[in-house]
Amino acid sequence: MEAGVRSSSAYAVEAHGLIKQFGSRRGLDGVDLAVPAGAFLSIFGPNGAGKTTLLRMLALLSRPTRGSLSILGVDALDDPDALRSRIGLISHKSMLYGDLTARENLEFFSSLYGEPNRARIDELLRLVELDHRRNDCVRTYSRGMQQRLSIARALVNDPDLVLLDEPYSGLDPHAAELFDELIGRVRDGRTFIMVSHDLRKGYDMCTHALILARGKVVVCAEKAQIDAAAFRDLYLATVGMGVA
Amino acid sequence: MARSRTGRPSAFAQYRALLMKDIHQELRTREMFTSMVVYALLVLTIYGAALAQVGDSLQVVSFAGGLLWALIVFTSLLGLNRSFSHETESGCLEGILLAPVDRAVIFLAKATSNLLFLAAVEVIVLPLFFLFFLSGADLAATTPMIALPLVVGTAGVAGVGTLLSTMTIDTRGRDVLLAILFIPVIFPLLYACVSATTTAFMGVEGTFGAFWTSCALATAYDVIMTAAAWGLYEFVVDA
Repeated sequence: MEAGVRSSSAYAVEAHGLIKQFGSRRGLDGVDLAVPAGAFLSIFGPNGAGKTTLLRMLALLSRPTRGSLSILGVDALDDPDALRSRIGLISHKSMLYGDLTARENLEFFSSLYGEPNRARIDELLRLVELDHRRNDCVRTYSRGMQQRLSIARALVNDPDLVLLDEPYSGLDPHAAELFDELIGRVRDGRTFIMVSHDLRKGYDMCTHALILARGKVVVCAEKAQIDAAAFRDLYLATVGMGVA
Repeated sequence: MARSRTGRPSAFAQYRALLMKDIHQELRTREMFTSMVVYALLVLTIYGAALAQVGDSLQVVSFAGGLLWALIVFTSLLGLNRSFSHETESGCLEGILLAPVDRAVIFLAKATSNLLFLAAVEVIVLPLFFLFFLSGADLAATTPMIALPLVVGTAGVAGVGTLLSTMTIDTRGRDVLLAILFIPVIFPLLYACVSATTTAFMGVEGTFGAFWTSCALATAYDVIMTAAAWGLYEFVVDA
């Protein structure tokens, strides 16, 4: 394991044969996954491929119909509560209350994980460069500012695993650049798993890449072992496969 | 950045945080409270128009309990629909579900905030109801006892309503669906509360056993349904 990596296990995520059944349709169809601790995994695939289903499972918002899932060395199906405080999620939805201020939002979410740590909240607000707007209601923020604040929200519990679900959705290029910069600043040995439709961005940021199609893993490899052009062609071919 | 992770808070601390968030948000926007009060006033206006032509021969006291509970149920429906709008508009409910919070605690906090907001609306609307429809009526000395069915009924409406509004938040036409589910489910409670309220208004000697029976039935309904909602909430929010 690398120095500074925030997991007692060599793998932050280990999944075997994950199946998610929605009525007669399979959202995930036997997904096997091993994400090394400290890695940045980007997940690509067409709409309906099962990316968000997989991410929701990793966020413990949904249980697999079958299969095994271990996160940060803990069995996620046996003891999800032990893991929740170690996972953060940044989505295209901000998960912030528009009528509360930035500070109130962070204090509220922080209080669900433990005694709110005011110094840490101030530090997070400075980190996402919103300390000057801390007392303004979130609904007055631009989309980019809300997304920056959602990074701070996802970090209030100091997670070891950070999940990103289409975080660039609705961001202009400048806001997306700022978002990238912030993600770079908060890597800090954490494991990141990102679902993205933006092949260039997702590929640039990752250490590992995965393509999902029709609920199955098409390819999952370390970036160093991937031929970028072949990966792009495979991605485009997969997107052409459409939904399950 | 300094690493910081404190121990998991108690269920009570999480309950308090969730409840205070709802209260804080409502105090800032007054969105739910204002819309419920305005809606209740409109219903009172409609009652006024409906009863304006009936003359003195009609004994309003004999059906005032029904009118009052219809007002409470319709007003609560509006509030219940709105109570989750903040949670869903930016995915905030998911943000809460990510945290190590017992789902029953989320239910209890939301049911408590719904109960508080509905009770606050009743505090404003009830005197107006008496002023408009019962000021000239021959009310029994037992009228203050309507406080009991009001407390029990409001608690039941908030508890069951919270569960049902959670079930319908992600559905299309959730306003209609909530009403379709809510009214049949709370019918036994509604029936018992109308009966107890009417008995208290009328105060006819010898019928007071019915008041206590109705209150006992309403209380039993509250206990059973709230316990069921408590137990089912995890399945509902994690579905």
